[in-house]
Amino acid sequence: MPIDVTLPGGLTLALAPDLILMAGAMVLMLWSAWRPDSASHQRSVGIGALVVTLITTVAVIWFAASGAKAKEGIVAVDGFRWAADLIFLLATFIAIALSIDYNTREGIDAPESHVLVLFATSGMMILAAARDLMIVFLGIELMSIAVYVLAGLNRRSARSAEAAIKYFLLGAFSTAFLLYGIALVYGATGSTNLATIGATVAKYRLGDSPMLLAGIALLLVGFGFKVAAAPFHMWTPDVYEGAPTPITGYMAAAVKAAAFAAFLRVWLEGFNGAYLRWHVAVWWLAAITMVLGNVVALAQQNLKRLLAYSSIAHSGFVLVALVVGTPAGSSAFIFYLFAYTLATMGAFAVIVALGQPGEGDLTIDSYSGLWNDRPWMAAAMTVFMLALLGFPIVGGIGFLAKWYVLQAALQAPAPQFRLAVLLVIATTISAGYYLQVVRVMYMKPRPANAPTPLPAGGLTRFVIGAAAILIVALGLFPDSIAALAQRSAAQPTTTTPAASGPMAAMSPGSAGAGR
Amino acid sequence: MLAFLNSIGYESWVLPTLLALPVAAALVILLHGSASKGEGTGGLDDAAAMFPRRITLFTFLLEFVVSIGLWWVVAPGETGFRAVVDLPWIRTWGIRFAVGVDGISVMLVLLTTFIMPLVVLGGWTSVRTKLHAYHALMLILTSGMLGVFMARDLFLFYVMWEIMLVPMYFIVGIWGGARRLYAALKFFIFTMVGSLLMLVAILYLGIKAGDPATGIPNFAFDQIFAAAAQTPQGGLNLSWFGIFLPGSTLLFLAFFSAFAVKVPMFPFHTWLPDAHVEAPTAGSVILASIMLKLGTYGFIRLAIPLFPAAAMSPGMRTGIIILAVIGVIYGSLVAMVQPDFKKLVAYSSVAHLGMVMLGLFALTRESVQGAMMVMIGHGLSTGALFLLIGMIYERTHSREIAAYGGIAKVVPVFATVLTIVVLSSIGLPGTNGFVSEFLVMVGSFKTFPYFTTVSALGVILAAVYLLWPLQRIIYNPLDKRENLHLRDLNWREIGLLVPVVFVIFWLGLYPKPVLARMEGATTSFVRRVEAGASQRAASLPPGVR
Amino acid sequence: MLLQEATRGAHPLSGSIAEWVWLIPLLPFIGFLINGWLSITSAAHVGPKDPSAAGHDPAGHGDDHGHDSGGGAHGDDRHAVARHKYAGLVSVIGPAVLLLSFGLTVAIFMAMLGVSREAPFVRTLFSWIPAGDLHVDAALQVDPLSMVMTLVVTGVGTLIHLFSVGYMQDDPGYPRYFAYLNLFVSFMLVLVLGASYPVLFVGWEGVGLCSYLLIGFWFTDKANADAGKKAFIVNRIGDFGFLVAMFLMFANFGVLDFLGVAAAAPGAGFNSPLVTWICLFLFLGCAGKSAQIPLYVWLPDAMAGPTPVSALIHAATMVTAGVYLIARSAFLFSLAPVAQLTVAFVGALTALFAATIGLKQWDIKRVLAYSTVSQLGYMFVGVGVGAYTAGIFHLVTHAFFKALLFLGSGSVIFAMHRAYHATHNHDDAQDMRNMGGLRRYMPVTFILMWIATLAIAGIPVFAGFFSKDEILGAVFARTHESTLSQVSWLGIPGGSLLYLIYAMGLAAALLTAIYMTRMMLYTFHGPNRSGEKEQSHLAEAPWIMTGPLVVLGLLSLFGGWLNLPALLPIGPVGTLEHWLEPVVGSATNAVTGGPHEAAHSTELVLIGAAVAIAALGIIIALVRLKPERLVPAAQAPEEQGLERVLLHKYYVDELYDRVIVRPTVWISRNVLATGVDEGIIDKLLVTWVGTGIPRLFGWFGSRLQSGQVGTYAWVLLIGVIAVLGAFTFR
Repeated sequence: MPIDVTLPGGLTLALAPDLILMAGAMVLMLWSAWRPDSASHQRSVGIGALVVTLITTVAVIWFAASGAKAKEGIVAVDGFRWAADLIFLLATFIAIALSIDYNTREGIDAPESHVLVLFATSGMMILAAARDLMIVFLGIELMSIAVYVLAGLNRRSARSAEAAIKYFLLGAFSTAFLLYGIALVYGATGSTNLATIGATVAKYRLGDSPMLLAGIALLLVGFGFKVAAAPFHMWTPDVYEGAPTPITGYMAAAVKAAAFAAFLRVWLEGFNGAYLRWHVAVWWLAAITMVLGNVVALAQQNLKRLLAYSSIAHSGFVLVALVVGTPAGSSAFIFYLFAYTLATMGAFAVIVALGQPGEGDLTIDSYSGLWNDRPWMAAAMTVFMLALLGFPIVGGIGFLAKWYVLQAALQAPAPQFRLAVLLVIATTISAGYYLQVVRVMYMKPRPANAPTPLPAGGLTRFVIGAAAILIVALGLFPDSIAALAQRSAAQPTTTTPAASGPMAAMSPGSAGAGR
Repeated sequence: MLAFLNSIGYESWVLPTLLALPVAAALVILLHGSASKGEGTGGLDDAAAMFPRRITLFTFLLEFVVSIGLWWVVAPGETGFRAVVDLPWIRTWGIRFAVGVDGISVMLVLLTTFIMPLVVLGGWTSVRTKLHAYHALMLILTSGMLGVFMARDLFLFYVMWEIMLVPMYFIVGIWGGARRLYAALKFFIFTMVGSLLMLVAILYLGIKAGDPATGIPNFAFDQIFAAAAQTPQGGLNLSWFGIFLPGSTLLFLAFFSAFAVKVPMFPFHTWLPDAHVEAPTAGSVILASIMLKLGTYGFIRLAIPLFPAAAMSPGMRTGIIILAVIGVIYGSLVAMVQPDFKKLVAYSSVAHLGMVMLGLFALTRESVQGAMMVMIGHGLSTGALFLLIGMIYERTHSREIAAYGGIAKVVPVFATVLTIVVLSSIGLPGTNGFVSEFLVMVGSFKTFPYFTTVSALGVILAAVYLLWPLQRIIYNPLDKRENLHLRDLNWREIGLLVPVVFVIFWLGLYPKPVLARMEGATTSFVRRVEAGASQRAASLPPGVR
Repeated sequence: MLLQEATRGAHPLSGSIAEWVWLIPLLPFIGFLINGWLSITSAAHVGPKDPSAAGHDPAGHGDDHGHDSGGGAHGDDRHAVARHKYAGLVSVIGPAVLLLSFGLTVAIFMAMLGVSREAPFVRTLFSWIPAGDLHVDAALQVDPLSMVMTLVVTGVGTLIHLFSVGYMQDDPGYPRYFAYLNLFVSFMLVLVLGASYPVLFVGWEGVGLCSYLLIGFWFTDKANADAGKKAFIVNRIGDFGFLVAMFLMFANFGVLDFLGVAAAAPGAGFNSPLVTWICLFLFLGCAGKSAQIPLYVWLPDAMAGPTPVSALIHAATMVTAGVYLIARSAFLFSLAPVAQLTVAFVGALTALFAATIGLKQWDIKRVLAYSTVSQLGYMFVGVGVGAYTAGIFHLVTHAFFKALLFLGSGSVIFAMHRAYHATHNHDDAQDMRNMGGLRRYMPVTFILMWIATLAIAGIPVFAGFFSKDEILGAVFARTHESTLSQVSWLGIPGGSLLYLIYAMGLAAALLTAIYMTRMMLYTFHGPNRSGEKEQSHLAEAPWIMTGPLVVLGLLSLFGGWLNLPALLPIGPVGTLEHWLEPVVGSATNAVTGGPHEAAHSTELVLIGAAVAIAALGIIIALVRLKPERLVPAAQAPEEQGLERVLLHKYYVDELYDRVIVRPTVWISRNVLATGVDEGIIDKLLVTWVGTGIPRLFGWFGSRLQSGQVGTYAWVLLIGVIAVLGAFTFR
């Protein structure tokens, strides 16, 4: 059914899922303020949040199934949006589920935390929907502010507070770039609507207009910061380490995914005409991010920091899908984000399950000999690690994600051979640290004085098990997911890289064999 | 026999069954493991520990029995693929589950199913901890190896190729020796580096072979071969060094990197000694008998026939043959001075596999057949060597050659079998070793007389590096107190060695049935490569040629 | 292949008993299986079910398993252990299988007498290695040459087996010994009967293996194990040559069976590099197997094995395989005069060289060992100059008298040893300085040994005289009007080289006479130096041992009748010549350009010279050497000067060790293993790339990751500038 989002009614309809989520969040907010903070209250609100998430999910699925389409306007109604939303909601569900157990253990009796997560998620959903730079900005801010708070949720922990401050300061810094970029783009094209921008760029051959390019560059910086692409990644390790573990997972998965969703849509729909220009920059961004993230991760001893760098590296991999700039690229992008979300959230879930109160030490060696007393936990962690590594069967869908990205990169009219080779090399490097975790769990003896991990909460265990099984099962039979991802590709407006194929030949990524 | 097999529709289910059985058994064992509480003694008295042993042994014996039928399915003179099963798997990406065997792969499948039961029996009592996981891993590993040998879809091939790493990584890393962590990681990384480059090449070929309209790739071997035939224009222009690498060469190198590491070819071999030395007996045997063959199998199945022009371009071909010959001589010399018997055998593998590479790239019908025979023979004799080392190690807990001496007096049966196996390994006529190496060299001499002559020196060196330790172990004065009361092999060990010895002599005295079955496949391999090489060589610009 | 089929179909022998030729090698093999089974079963104690868990139980284990007595080089504690429980059975089976195959051989021989022997009879059993263009059949070839060899091998073999029954009677490894011995004969028969080079090679390496096992029979003495290993490895060096020769043949002729190669070889052309190279590589193989310079070093050490083994393997049969191979490949060698001259010259050189060493050896077996090397040199001179019959003739007679000499020395050692053992004396039972005057104690051995000595020295009517003389005569005859005299070898004209070879042959003959007489003097003449107590124990060996000696003595006495020269028609003239004619006749004629009678006068002169030389040698020895001056080894003084050099065999072993063995090992250990493998490759891949670079980045990254927001902001700003810069690219 076609929806005309230019009309208020249509707009409301198009934003219905987001609105449902926000409404639910409001209700929960009131309820959480209704009674004094307590562990039980925190739990019940958390459960409520889970329910809200599920309801929203149902709504999203309903819309996705209804095949609703909107032509132009400030909000997109298309498969890409729904697919992205589902990924956010998945991450949200897991994050909340983990938070419930985590907060109980850490004695954080703050029911609002779950509400804040919901608010952040609604911001993400807006980001996924946004077809107007202003909406994009709105979404980013709605998401970020909530996350700033979440990072500092654990008031008793100095590290948590520090993380929040850092994130806030640098976030503000980068938002400035984002905003300025929007302004410049507006100046160049006279619109903030992506469709219009795309059309204008194509029509007036604005591909070389300095103002537009400057705008794109600054937007690139803004997004680069949100997705933690090198060299805008510096905040990531500290913040990830400091933030409460479930929130870290949430940031690593959902926040990143949301930023990427907007990133991709803006680039494909808005700036496709300038492909030849931003292509170079994004190419290098991807390359540097992949290599740097993986290499530095090798030196990490703290698990959360390690996963932080791993998430940086994965931003690099996702950027490859973005560099391709084709529908196939965006399908691969969706698929990758899905797999990555499962694996990362799973890994953080394990950290939550095995952490001691106060998150004493999270060094890799603290998992020595885990296999002996928690075999299934170790097995699950192995699955997550190999999935992040992108290893077949055991790593299940993680491997297929890389496979899909590579396929998109090589299938593009301007095949990205060097980037592909770089990607696999980076992957090999990453084996160094992912395997280290596995090795510690299985091949090192349990230290004598090691505290036996507390029994993990039921929700946490459920999340871990479900994620691991999903990863392996979908790794064996990915056809449905793959088809879904393929259907929910974002359509680049106007000129495609194909049209500018011969010129693309000069861009670094596309040189190499086979052309 | 064939009639009976057809009556039960053998060809339609045999290969998937061979793949599925071990996995199923592994699941059963894991479930039983999680059910049974705690660690027992792990000895023969420990009922909980006996369960995985028995199940695994039974499964492997069943595998062997099931696979035997392939011997008749792939009749002498058979050139094509038999027992083919081809099902859609991931439609969106045009990936299929396609398996089948021809004269080349069937021998390796049979080798695998033949060796695995012996491996289990070999480690029957030596492994005493975490037996459930240990056996489950071994079962999964078997599926992976078989999958590589029978895959007819490049994606399936790659997945199976990679999946083998994990079980072996754990087997080495958990049940291995002192430096097991280092060895396991080295093994994993070395192998992965190569295979990931292959991944890019595989995807490229798949896309080329795919349907441009729908953009769905296709990884079925036949289409891939068709796609590889029209070679890409362009390539990598290293203007600094003034060399131009055509696309086909780059793709070949991608496959080469994966397979050369696995073979292992000099100088990518250094993971092998560590892995062999640290691995438990079963690990060493599987590595030597089967996993090393995967590399050479990759060459004969994919790398060479896919890119005949690139592989057989004079520069590449000579270069690889030089590496192979270096492998033969270098491996032998280094093996000669190893104080650790396991390490010694590991380096001898480098030498033997160098022989295989020589045979493959010499590209005559005799040499290729010989290469296949070396692959099989090396699987038998080196596997048996590691089994024997494991047996004696289980008694004395020492792999140092110097720790023995004169033990033929106390363990005559062990000494006899060891002598037989060593002799087959140095290629004494009447054993498999002679037939295979003779074929390789007699064939290679036609195309590369000088290199072959050099590699024939390996015949001398083999005698040196194997007879020396043989003497220091079973001969010389029996002067170590701890060896005075060494116990000879028991019935289990004798029983598992007898089949190996039998096959060693069978292949040495009457290899015709095996050769005849491989004849068709090897011949078509040689023909195809020769044709491809010649017609491309004609079309290439002089700069590349 | 096809040729074989063709010849086989039509062959007169097809359908005759010759069809059963495959039984000849099979019978000893069955013997091997039975004896081996007895040996293993009697030795084995099957281990416990769970070796890693089982503790040791010293009771009834470890000390008394009958696998083997260690024992010194001569089995010093042979008497310590009672006779093996299966000794009776083994002593029947061991020789019996030999006797049977000897009988079968004789039967086939008889069958051949009647029919035409022009074409060889090839018995194809099955297709062995069919691959590509290569088709090797497991086929045996019955022709005069292989028959001669088979008769010698089975005949002498049987005698030596019988001798062993006595000699090894008390050895705890008794069944193992006969298993090895049977296996050896089986392989040896494959060697001489094989119808193609690969099949021959099977026997070729098989006998090498058995020699390895038998030399190291008393393996708990390191010296013996070393000797066995040395023999095998040196042989392998030769086998390398053999292999390359086969590769050359296959690459150029496309076949490897004798008939096929014989048919194809002429196509390669006379004196063509190809044939020359094939022959030279083949000769490398022969040099290894038949202990010629430079690969002779293993044979003297091989004396570490039991004496009957030395007699059978290292005198009568295996070491002559090289001679056989060249005779078998006559069709090739006659096409390659340069290679022929090489063979002859190396042969002559070896003959002379080994003889000089033989002069100063004290160990009775070593004297015989060097004499064997020297006599083998003679044979190579014979086959080298294309006198294939002469070479084979000397091979046969040598088999007789050298086997006799070894077995005789065997019974001497046996006696000495028993004496020493009875008196618990630990002197060397093989050192001639400890013997002397034994003729009083063991007269039979004494007489027989003298017969053999005169035979090897080349005194008329004894076997050796005819064969040796024929070789020398042939060499002289080739000096003119032969293909050899026309080519030049390393710049030396063939004719003059042949004269040199002839001279060397004579010199060697002189030395042979000297050192053999010396051996006899020191062993049997003069006073006994073994000590009073021992003398009472010295005695003749039992009849099971002396019996074979007598037979061999007769053979050494009348063996010459096999091939009498036309000059001395004291019997049928040139029997062997005519017998071998179908095999080597044409090849010989190719060299000489047809049979042409040399003047009787010259021939007489030659014979006279040879006899004179031999006699002279014996006289010199008798005059110069004084057994009564000799003192036992214990109080013997150190040799000086040349004597010392000879005693240490010109230090050749030491030379090889320093120049070849040690450098190879050193390089492998210090350059390749630790240098390249652990050094370069692993350092590069693991230490630097694998570990170093990540460390570096990690350090850099963590330094930048200071935790200061300011730093981060700056980095961010730099990134901004970089991105803006990137946008100016296109």
